[in-house]
Amino acid sequence: METTAMNSQSTPAGGKPTHIRILVWDVPVRVFHWALAGSFITAFVTAESEAFRNVHVVSGYLMLALIVFRVVWGFVGTRHARFSDFVRGPGAVVNYVRSLINGNPEHHVGHNPAGALAIILLLLLGVGTVASGWMSFNEIGGDALGELHEGIATTMLAVVVVHVLGVIVSSFLHRENLLRSMLTGYKDGPREDGIGHRRGIIAIALVAVLGWFGWGLTQGQFPGLLDANAAAQQAHHGESGEHDDED
Amino acid sequence: MRIRILVLSTLLALSGAASALTPDDVKSALAAEVKATDPAFKDFSAQRGNVFFHARHGGEWSCATCHTELPAASGQHTVTKKPIRPLAPAANAERFTNQDKVDKWFKRNCNDVAKRACTAREKGDLLAYLMSVKP
Ligand code: HEC
Ligand code: HEM
Repeated sequence: METTAMNSQSTPAGGKPTHIRILVWDVPVRVFHWALAGSFITAFVTAESEAFRNVHVVSGYLMLALIVFRVVWGFVGTRHARFSDFVRGPGAVVNYVRSLINGNPEHHVGHNPAGALAIILLLLLGVGTVASGWMSFNEIGGDALGELHEGIATTMLAVVVVHVLGVIVSSFLHRENLLRSMLTGYKDGPREDGIGHRRGIIAIALVAVLGWFGWGLTQGQFPGLLDANAAAQQAHHGESGEHDDED
Repeated sequence: MRIRILVLSTLLALSGAASALTPDDVKSALAAEVKATDPAFKDFSAQRGNVFFHARHGGEWSCATCHTELPAASGQHTVTKKPIRPLAPAANAERFTNQDKVDKWFKRNCNDVAKRACTAREKGDLLAYLMSVKP
């Protein structure tokens, strides 16, 4: 944000309109985000042991359920949660990255184009991980599918690392604490860019449905996803860790 | 498009790499590994492998917990209850024909049973035992 006499981009720099504290991320987006992070990490760290097989599988299914919700929310959610608000072409990503390098970062109240790319990749890789995991769990596709499952999951971890680094770097470049905004929902910006609703009820419904789904899985209510007597056995061992209720 | 080609070629490479390895090849590779550190090494012992297979190693499980006391029989995963095809090559021709798969499962299962990796000698003994099991 120092010397910027660059050729004009789409950057609305300069005399900013008065910035106030505005709500940007509704509650479902934030619950989704931290539950997704939690389920991904849980699935990742339980992958290496046969003892945690059921925890691994349950957290994978919860991750997929979260992504299904997010895709729906991407069409019917609040303004900055909508795909139409942040999914842009490769040109926008290139322009944005160039603006970072030029030291005159384009500002976006919602997701910036580079962040949006990581988000879309994470959603797709999440679906791919669970689909390939389900297939190898059911021995469809043989050893190759198991390898593919691991490959996609590792790729997803790499994108997560880039995503987190991106959040840190953007936070510094924009002098804006993005991590806090994903926790509280608030950013500073012009009044007209804020959203009007928190949608807390939807978030409660989301947590309730996921809780019911996760519990049902451990109780063998969905034998096509996780075997019934296996899950009962797991319950006797007193396994936990398939709940997500952070915000 | 690119990605589809990538995925397809990965699948092809993975399935192609699986061919033409025998349990004997796997065993000789392990023997070479042991010999590298112990020149006096002669051969693996099916007897020692038998003992290792059926014993517990500090944890709750032995190899036999999932692969049954008689590894020529079909086993069952003790957590997921999914069936596991026989581990002895005489009862299941697919066993020990894919080095990546062998390495992956030795690593996982030794960690689950013994909370550590198995040594090359232990793996060779286990393989010698499994190869001696007749259906
Ligand atoms: C918790 C259950 C469990 C235990 C305990 C277990 N295994 Fe396995 N093992 C599996 C599963 C599941 C597979 C992979 C499925 C398949 O190939 O049928 C497997 C596969 C293997 C393979 C792959 C062989 C091949 O080429 O296909 C080897 C080798 C093996 N196990 C050895 C062992 C040894 C040695 C022990 C004891 C240290 C052991 N296992 C203990 C569940 C177990
Ligand atoms: C561990 C796995 C993680 C996954 C899978 C993940 C995934 C995602 C996804 C899908 C979004 C889009 C949110 C939405 O619009 O619904 C997002 C946004 C975000 N994530 Fe993560 N995330 C992870 C970890 C983290 C961590 C550890 C942090 C903290 C540094 C973080 C900080 C953020 C922030 C600040 C945003 C908003 C970015 C923006 O302002 O455009 N994420 N993440």
